[in-house]
Amino acid sequence: MIRSRLSRPDRLMPTVSLGLVLVAFLCTPLVSGKPLALFDLYNALQGFAQLGLLALAIGITMIAGEFDLSVVGTYALGGMLAVEFGQTSPVLGVLVAMVAGAAVGMSQGGLIAWLRIPSMPVTLATYIALLGLTYAISGGLSTTYPNGDATLWVDQTIAGIFSPRSLLTLAAFLSAALLLGFTRLGRELRAIGGDRRASRVAGVGVERRLVGLFTASGTLAGLGGALLSYSFASANPDPGLQPLILAAVGALLGGVSLAGGRGTPTGLLAGTLSVALLAQIVAVTAIPDYSTQLLYAALLAVIVAIESPGLRHVLPPRWSRNRQADLPTPAGTREAAGRP
Amino acid sequence: MSAPATGGPLDAFLRVEGLARSFNGVPAVRDVSFTVGAGEIHALCGHNGAGKSTVVKMLSGQLAPDGGRVVVEGAVVEPNSRRAAQRMGVALVDQELSVVPALTVLENMLLGDVTAPFVNRRRAAAARCRRILDDMGLAHIDPDQPLAALGIGERQLVEIAKALSQDARLVILDEPTATLSDAETEHVFAAIRRVAGMGCSVIFVSHRLSEVLELCASVTVLRDGRSVATIPTEDLTVDELIVRMLGSAPHRLSGTRGPDRGDGRAMRIEHLHVPGRLVDFTLTATAGRVHALAGQLGSGASDALRALAGLQPQATGTVELNDRRVPLRHPARAARAGIAFVSNDRKSEGLFLGMSVERNLLATRLPGLARAGVVRPRRERRAALSLAQRSGLPEYRLDAEVLALSGGNQQKVFVGRCLGRDDVHVLLLDEPTRGVDVGGRAEIHRLLREAADRGLVVIFASTELDELLELGDVIITMRDGQVVGRYEGEVDGALLMRDMTHEADGT
Repeated sequence: MIRSRLSRPDRLMPTVSLGLVLVAFLCTPLVSGKPLALFDLYNALQGFAQLGLLALAIGITMIAGEFDLSVVGTYALGGMLAVEFGQTSPVLGVLVAMVAGAAVGMSQGGLIAWLRIPSMPVTLATYIALLGLTYAISGGLSTTYPNGDATLWVDQTIAGIFSPRSLLTLAAFLSAALLLGFTRLGRELRAIGGDRRASRVAGVGVERRLVGLFTASGTLAGLGGALLSYSFASANPDPGLQPLILAAVGALLGGVSLAGGRGTPTGLLAGTLSVALLAQIVAVTAIPDYSTQLLYAALLAVIVAIESPGLRHVLPPRWSRNRQADLPTPAGTREAAGRP
Repeated sequence: MSAPATGGPLDAFLRVEGLARSFNGVPAVRDVSFTVGAGEIHALCGHNGAGKSTVVKMLSGQLAPDGGRVVVEGAVVEPNSRRAAQRMGVALVDQELSVVPALTVLENMLLGDVTAPFVNRRRAAAARCRRILDDMGLAHIDPDQPLAALGIGERQLVEIAKALSQDARLVILDEPTATLSDAETEHVFAAIRRVAGMGCSVIFVSHRLSEVLELCASVTVLRDGRSVATIPTEDLTVDELIVRMLGSAPHRLSGTRGPDRGDGRAMRIEHLHVPGRLVDFTLTATAGRVHALAGQLGSGASDALRALAGLQPQATGTVELNDRRVPLRHPARAARAGIAFVSNDRKSEGLFLGMSVERNLLATRLPGLARAGVVRPRRERRAALSLAQRSGLPEYRLDAEVLALSGGNQQKVFVGRCLGRDDVHVLLLDEPTRGVDVGGRAEIHRLLREAADRGLVVIFASTELDELLELGDVIITMRDGQVVGRYEGEVDGALLMRDMTHEADGT
């Protein structure tokens, strides 16, 4: 059972990464000299809430073989719009941020799907444009969110370790896991990422799915930005690239393949939790800040090495059951002999 | 082997009337009409370029016809996507493997199925999948197994099983058995007969003519984009079918080829083997002669060339070039030994499409044009001009992007890159003129002939009879991964076709 579970990289990688980080987290008292407190877990989950929706937004596009760089721009815009429109009604602010994110995502999805433009240039251009738009709305300055009640509410403690923000983020992961795990959307998404031509021939509505996917990605990023602004009581017009990089690291640790076709929301959840817990370990043990980056890199290296085809090829066959499948398929061996 | 399903007085389920389709002004299908009865297994046969696959694409919603119409049960239909065609009850096994390795077997079975519910009903689907796999002789495959863990033949069987299990009213199978063993093919045929017995119409496209006669009730023969005849298979032999497909069969007289110069330089290939693809391939290819490997999809011709170029990681055997051993399974070492390979897929395995013609022509000879690692532009230009002249490419196109060239000129760049190099002794070409117009084709043939005349060993694989007869001094026919025959001098095109398409059982 365990062996069968671990034979699949989309399960192996998040299991190993979360397992390693959890063990390290439980060992932190040995370094810090202080026992672990519920507050440490709360903090880790707050870090997760900050990153989670962004990681989910990027992760689902990666599963379909795309990469949505614009999520950080949508994140910034969502935060700014929430602050502008949510001063009296925080819910309205969140809705505006989500609708704006959905509109951005839908437009990008349309360009990528119908005009067949690669996602990288489209989403890069959108990212830059959204940062410009956010600067224009804010005048280039951080904007304060005056609704203190909302700020207190989003971060209030629930059951010692949760907050409404972390619970909302967990709910988003749960919804994605249910939707992709129990409906045809999950297999279609992975099929689109795995082999787009074959998916089309099989009858998958590839274009519609891509538009829907980018819409979902934009909505999640907008929501993430809004919740972060409420939590910080201000919106920053430029969040920098750190959130994007950490979200991508979370996705990779979660077993999502950069080549597409592989990954699950539960894997993404484990990957993002690994990143958040690692940050908390650094905070608790008071080791220098720069160690965080080194630890992320080391963890990523371990995880990527575990599933590298090269490693599997040098292992004995019983350790690498898919060895045969990794062999390259000759080009054209299934091609048409009589193609016009 | 069981008898074919009889034609019988069947109600016409599908009527194709005057279907036509062009690509960039070049007609691929000009006028195709045929009728398929309910529950009938109907074959589409034709030589390469006859238009079979284009007809299949139009019927399955992948291409819109320019003219003609498709009538299903008396009503004109216009399927504009695969999904729309599926809703009309059309299932397809595409000629290119169209299952997704990233998914499990079960997920592949359900992928794109319009009848599958939005919310997965895993247990019911798995039980159904189990039944279908058992029927197809795949009892050893677990529905939850990743497809990536299966071999090519098993993946093909999964795709066929999927199409046959969709409760479709018309199943189209385009070259479904090209990569299957005889035992696997028998399972497929049994499943096809079963669905036909339940009233589902089947269109079967295959180069394996004995299979067509065994399985199908009638066959529509296509030639040059036109349907030339629809004939019940019970009145037909393989030879008659070949004659119908070719019209007047091409024929080559003896004495049109130059004799073997016999200067001793040769490539000796002994017992070359690629698991599941090529069995015991042995050939001595002498320098100065053009050797043609004649084989259809799955014949092993392409695999033999790829193995010689070091591109088959599982290849075994002995290869010697001018009495020196050539390592297998290592493309770089094969290239160092003097083997140049022109793939059948110039776009992904050959050319740098976004770069200039000059850069492409010189890509494999930069060390010879450089001093201390720095390429000297004047020398580079001179070499490019000389190569362009030799390859028949106009000088003024040297700076153009390869992407902007026609298929013929692109192929000339690809072949030209291998010419005029002292370190190349063997030229291997897989489908050297695929997608090339008549003029470009003659130019490429001239280049290959010149290369042979300069003392290179030239081996090419092709499915085109005309090309095989025109260019090959020695023609080796292949089928199912094995050599069937070897021809020199006078050769009858129909004989080659028979070798390439038919079991050697005397039928």
